[in-house]
Amino acid sequence: MDEILILAETKETQIEKSTHELIQAGRELKSALGGILSCLLLGEGMDGAVKDLEQYPLDRIYLLENPLLKDFSPDLWVSSLEQAVRNLKPKVFIMAHSPTGREVGPRLSARLKSTLTTDCIGLRLDPEDRRIVRVKPIYGGNAVAVLKGKGNPELITLRKNVYSPAAPEGTKTEIIKLQLALSDQVVKVKALRTIFREQVELDKAEVIISGGRGIGAKEDFQLLERLAELINQRGIKALVGCSRPVVDKGWLSSDHQVGLTGTMVAPGLYVAVGISGAIQHLVGMVRSKKIVAINTDPNCNMFKVADYGVIEDYKEILHHLISKLEGLS
Amino acid sequence: MLPFRDTFFMIQNKWIFYLISGLVVAFVVLVFFYYVATWKKALSGKTNTNKRPNIRSLFIAIKNVFLGIRIFKDDILAGIMHFLIFWGFFALLIGTILLSIHEHIVKFLMGNIYIVFSVIMEIAGLFLISGTVIAIFRRYILKVKRLQSYTEDLLIPLFLILIVSSGFLLEALRIAQNPQRWEKWSFVGWYLKELFGPGVSEGAYPYIWWFHAILSLSFLLFIPLTKLAHTILAPTSIYLQNLPKEDGDKAQMEEEDSASEGSDKEAQLPQRPFLTLSHLIFLDACMRCGRCVEVCPSTLAGEDYAPRDFVQGLRAWVWQSFSSHGDPRLFTERSPDKMQRIWNCTTCRACLEVCPVYGPTFELVMGERTLAIEEGTSVPDLLNQTLERLYKYENPWMSSKKEKLGWIEEGSSIGFITKSFKPEFCYFVGCTTSVDPRARGIAKAFSNILRSSGLEFGIFGEKEPCCGDMAKRVGELGLFEEKKMSCSDLFQSYGVKNVVTSSPHCYFNFKNEYPQGMFNVFHYTQLIHKLIKERNLTIKKRLDFTVTYHDPCYLGRHSRIFNEPREIIRSIPGIKLIEMTHNRENSLCCGGGGGRMWQGNELNGTERMSERRAKEAKETGADVVLTACPLCLIMMEDAIKTLGYEKNLKVMDINELLKMAIDEEKR
Amino acid sequence: MKELKIIVCAKQIPDPEAPFSAVTVDSKKKEVKVDAPEVISPYDENALEAALRIKESSKAFITVLSVGSSLSDTVLRKAIAAGADQLVMVEDDSFGRLDSYSTAYVLSKAISMLGEYDLILTGRQAGDWDWGQVGLILGEILGLPTINMAAGITVRDGHVEVSRLVPAGLELVEAKMPALVTVSNEVGELRYVSRSKILGMLKKRIPIKKVSKGDLNLEPEFLNTMELLELLPPSDMRRDCVIVEGATGKEKAERLFEIIKQIL
Repeated sequence: MDEILILAETKETQIEKSTHELIQAGRELKSALGGILSCLLLGEGMDGAVKDLEQYPLDRIYLLENPLLKDFSPDLWVSSLEQAVRNLKPKVFIMAHSPTGREVGPRLSARLKSTLTTDCIGLRLDPEDRRIVRVKPIYGGNAVAVLKGKGNPELITLRKNVYSPAAPEGTKTEIIKLQLALSDQVVKVKALRTIFREQVELDKAEVIISGGRGIGAKEDFQLLERLAELINQRGIKALVGCSRPVVDKGWLSSDHQVGLTGTMVAPGLYVAVGISGAIQHLVGMVRSKKIVAINTDPNCNMFKVADYGVIEDYKEILHHLISKLEGLS
Repeated sequence: MLPFRDTFFMIQNKWIFYLISGLVVAFVVLVFFYYVATWKKALSGKTNTNKRPNIRSLFIAIKNVFLGIRIFKDDILAGIMHFLIFWGFFALLIGTILLSIHEHIVKFLMGNIYIVFSVIMEIAGLFLISGTVIAIFRRYILKVKRLQSYTEDLLIPLFLILIVSSGFLLEALRIAQNPQRWEKWSFVGWYLKELFGPGVSEGAYPYIWWFHAILSLSFLLFIPLTKLAHTILAPTSIYLQNLPKEDGDKAQMEEEDSASEGSDKEAQLPQRPFLTLSHLIFLDACMRCGRCVEVCPSTLAGEDYAPRDFVQGLRAWVWQSFSSHGDPRLFTERSPDKMQRIWNCTTCRACLEVCPVYGPTFELVMGERTLAIEEGTSVPDLLNQTLERLYKYENPWMSSKKEKLGWIEEGSSIGFITKSFKPEFCYFVGCTTSVDPRARGIAKAFSNILRSSGLEFGIFGEKEPCCGDMAKRVGELGLFEEKKMSCSDLFQSYGVKNVVTSSPHCYFNFKNEYPQGMFNVFHYTQLIHKLIKERNLTIKKRLDFTVTYHDPCYLGRHSRIFNEPREIIRSIPGIKLIEMTHNRENSLCCGGGGGRMWQGNELNGTERMSERRAKEAKETGADVVLTACPLCLIMMEDAIKTLGYEKNLKVMDINELLKMAIDEEKR
Repeated sequence: MKELKIIVCAKQIPDPEAPFSAVTVDSKKKEVKVDAPEVISPYDENALEAALRIKESSKAFITVLSVGSSLSDTVLRKAIAAGADQLVMVEDDSFGRLDSYSTAYVLSKAISMLGEYDLILTGRQAGDWDWGQVGLILGEILGLPTINMAAGITVRDGHVEVSRLVPAGLELVEAKMPALVTVSNEVGELRYVSRSKILGMLKKRIPIKKVSKGDLNLEPEFLNTMELLELLPPSDMRRDCVIVEGATGKEKAERLFEIIKQIL
């Protein structure tokens, strides 16, 4: 029986939204392929995560709990995944195109001698040979490649915010605890310490106010911050994002960056302020439900993908928006 | 009896005086030789091309030395101060020499000549004293902001006051002993003589004489050891800096070539291959007067840069690196730190415009940039990306050559220069005008104006390379040479004879950095001015605006085109032109030149340069601020929006205004 | 002190900065044509910069290694002008569309041929196909300690210390050399390489080593091109944009405010 296996990811033992998206992708694939959909969960103290996963249409949850897996150590994770996949022999193994997936995926692919297609935005079954067809944007989103891979299992990392998260569904889920021989002997890279930085989780925002090259000065981001803050006060999660030039200038940290090498987002409202719309940025935000562009250049690309456009200097518009919102509260 | 005086009245052993004088002069000459030796080392054996004597620059030097024109400019009190000190000192020096001639060679200071001499000496002494008093007053009471004070700035005036007072005292003592009638022409001494009885005078005179003599001679010692070195170096600097540019440039280029070849072997000596002798003399002639600081748009905007500080830093570096026995200056900046600030300068030339010794600080900054570019690691990221883009896509803005056609409106027929279409004029649109949404307005309006004038013109479109101005200003000389080659080759292969540019930057670059005589180059203001004068353009509409005109640095200060734009503006009926506080050669830079446009905002100070300028434009009460440069247009437009002026003040290019005036009225 | 041998893997690609108007997709030939000059992939330039910074503080010999078809020394020469010591070009017409494993395999063979090394640096992903795999697979093939997504690299006492980007912030890790590190842009942009430096190299003999497929004893089993079924233009992202009109900025802002209120 064909098994579709997905890799669950957690943050502080909470299941990530991207895992729910993988479940949805796996479910769609299962309806064409048949067989079972299962999920592999690694870590330590995963009771809550298991409870969460149980609500979703999964046939099996493979649980690998080990103190060594508490933090993400690439060497240990790759070693565990290699063993697990070799044991379980799934037909397809899908990971999120997350920092974890991006790191373990290629290394797993090398060990299993199976082609990995990274950053896919679509998967389907070729009924002829029952292989998986992988759809992947290339050239910064300027083209789309449709590919197949060699080897087993078929390895895929899936772009975030492409599939909508699966809805909980009362399915009978079998929980299987995996016992693997794990040893920290495999660790060749020693983690010394982590410098924690508060990270902006753009992909969780409902509104993103994003600034680009057109923002004249670092201080002007205070206008964007203020606007986001005022929206937050109304109970809607709003965050400030930016395009790559802003990060390159060092005005905002890279977790604010929307786009191909930043975060892929799809909020309810995306306000692009002074962003001309390089393709690398557009692919990261074009799935937003509504897009508002503020720019002085009527010919810029951003207006081509926006629902609403304002051709005006951003400072004036933002000032008025802010005073309007301040007037409301 | 003929009026006269005994030169060595009551003085024995006058040979001692001559011996000391000789030693002092020898010392001064020796120290100046030390300067020369250090300069030579800094030039690292580069042959200094012989520049032919030039009457014009000699005249400028003489004019500046004797009249102190640049010192009077915008600061009359400083001008008076310098005038008094210069003429006082100069006259007394000449007087002293004349006395020696009279004593030893030919007796001529007698009779009326002696009386005239006496009066002049009295006045000179008074000049010198009042000049130094003004100097102290300005520096320590008025606290003129641009002045930066070291110990020497107090020491020298006090020294001078002491010398002159001891001189007057001496005179009084001499007259007191034998008050002849003609001595009343030595009026200060005549007055003061009342204070002393003959007995006192006789006893004190020789002591005071020696005191005065030694004081005066030791003052001369300080000339090469303090800012007084400018008495010799400033005239030299003024002369050298005013030599014809062409010679200077050629010399510099040759030097650069030879230096880069030899640099492999002599890598141990720090190299500044762009430095020329005239630069080095300028560095040592700088009096730290701070006039450049007062006009520098970067300093004015509160940025951490001042031309004077850069110059002093570079000077400190030269002496630190090349002198065998250290810096001869007793009181000066010792740290070369300030020469690190090389990206603020917009090369606007305002500093040179006011510098009493004609120091081209911006050229030195550009020279420093060439080193940073070669070294590579300290090039700001945005500039790094911009230069890459300029290389790959012939413009500093967009990663595409196709965008260069974006300004051409649909349906407008603009001819492309081909092998079969060789129009009289090549319109060189320029990078910024081609691709920037706001600046494209210049090209749209200008091409319309040219069409209505009937002048035959064409463009190169996608084929048009960058002229290389930006590369040159930020010190990327290799890239500049490549762009120069592309442009020259293109013009040559299509037989282009006349080029008209949108941008003063392209204009200046073609005019000054390209081989002479290959083609004629015009800025559009010159061409339009000519078209209006020859009645090829008819202005149909009256425009009732009040406007003010912002002189772009590379059109005004660098290219001396001040009148044509103003005459075009005035030729439109109804237009009232009013000037801003800073106009013509005193214009204030918008901050877009010299590669500053592509520097990001990290360098910004308390205020943006463009906003300062926009505020000035607003103060005039004009409806429109006009410019004649795409960079100014973008910068000013942005500033006016940021300041929220756009309802009352518009930014337009002269072309855009003129186009409104020549368009048929819509009925 | 022993001289560090650093290998930087660099891919030659069409300028990813080119706007989308410059990119055309030929679905029939399954080719992407980019009307833009070729460059060194930006993350590989970051890797080179990281190597050059190591060289500033320790004695090091930097080899830039590139695998591909139709490689151009005019493009890759920039790496030498920037300060690398040697350029190795492994070129073959069949290398145009190797899959990630095969590319890493060819690189591993070339690296073995070059002899001893201490540190291999690669970009985190290429600027054209964005696979993000070659570096990590190369680490696996060579059996090296592998560190992904470096934001800063230092070397001392036979160890490499890397601060790497992780979701929580920066993680400081350490590994014994030889090791492989993939580099992210946080390391810093490649220093500016002046045109005169690049042109100056025309006069000198550039240390370029050209390696052909035959020199490497490649096993055909590990040389696979990607199985590309189709190449499509991107899905249309266009929407009908309603321009918010108004006589003044204030009017526009007020209308926009109403629109946003409706959306939320």
